[in-house]
Amino acid sequence: MSSPSDDALEGANGGIQAGRYYGRGIPYLNIGEYPGKLIAVEGTDGVGRSTQIQLLREWLEVKGYGVVETGWTRSPLMQPTIELAKSSNTLNKLTFVLLYATDFADRLEKEIIPALKAGFIVLSDRYIFSALARAGVRGVDRQWLRTLYGFAIAPHLVFYLKVDVSTLIRRVLAARGMDFWESGMDLKHGDDIYDSFRTYQNKLLREYASMADEFHFRNLDARRSIDNIQEELRRQVASFLEPVEQLKPAEPVAVR
Amino acid sequence: MTFSLLHATDFADRLLYKIIPPLKAGMIVLADRYTYTAFARDATRGVDRQWVRDLYGFAVRPDLVLYFRVPIEVSLDRLMARRVKLKFYEAGMDLGWSSNPNESFRLFQGKVLDEYDRLVDEFGLEVIDARASIMEQQRVVRHLISPRLELGEQLVTTDEQPV
Repeated sequence: MSSPSDDALEGANGGIQAGRYYGRGIPYLNIGEYPGKLIAVEGTDGVGRSTQIQLLREWLEVKGYGVVETGWTRSPLMQPTIELAKSSNTLNKLTFVLLYATDFADRLEKEIIPALKAGFIVLSDRYIFSALARAGVRGVDRQWLRTLYGFAIAPHLVFYLKVDVSTLIRRVLAARGMDFWESGMDLKHGDDIYDSFRTYQNKLLREYASMADEFHFRNLDARRSIDNIQEELRRQVASFLEPVEQLKPAEPVAVR
Repeated sequence: MTFSLLHATDFADRLLYKIIPPLKAGMIVLADRYTYTAFARDATRGVDRQWVRDLYGFAVRPDLVLYFRVPIEVSLDRLMARRVKLKFYEAGMDLGWSSNPNESFRLFQGKVLDEYDRLVDEFGLEVIDARASIMEQQRVVRHLISPRLELGEQLVTTDEQPV
């Protein structure tokens, strides 16, 4: 891995600008000023991301916002390829990363940017942070990854549903059981899927935690009730979308 | 971007399965096109030059890079002599610069050649005049390669599929 010649993601220095490209961006796709907002909901498997997004979407639509959802590996271009590649044993950590990046690039160009330009609120179920965490755990150079994703747009808000590994295990087991990739079985931590899941998810959680400051995560305790989390989400989204209305009562009238 | 990333994925796969193992075994790998093709082609399509170079940061730097250079007209004549129709992406038809495939090819590949010229200095490519006869070109190639090989060692070659 080479080290990039300049700061691609300037996050470490607090240089991230919400709504703009992280790094060098896509030169032929000038995003300029646009009316839409990008909100990412991040978190490992089984923390309730999709439930929260579903509820948030309904609430936003009732308030009159147009909402578009996008999610990891959902691009029409790449989804079949990724499924095929995961089912065979030919993927290595590098091709894994690049396939995900291709999927993301497709959704960014075809779904996310057009929706933002049209004034939609884009709710992203996972964002580049999942890819950065998974690849980071697999030993891919972190700076290279950040440069690679320099074409991504920094979301206006990033919510991170934070959970501990014990809670996570009980949830995943209750919901659907552990699967090969979520358990990091490709990392060969051992034959025991439970131990492997625990080790892998622990590493993932640490990787996410290490990105929290860099990418301005807003942490939400995923162990709380669905309603409780949703209430907090709505409060934060509302104060972001309607800053003017929020400020009104607090703004003192100027007195001579 | 997706065009660029898909090719990088394909390249990563071939690098890890077909290029690195034979290199480790002490073999000679002959690559028909390498990352430089992507640098030239992706930049022409408007992808950031530095980003593409960083993207391919995982690639092994070749011991020798031969660049067979021809003027655009020669390239077009040669292709036309062999085939009836130019390929869609080869002619850069996706860019919408011209609805005429030949014209689009001329515009697109012309820019690709300009990009290659940048690469010559940046990466020290050895330029070979591809207008010369095949025999003459081969003579130049062998002349460039010989000093880099240790004589007497057994040589095995591996063919690489084009990108």
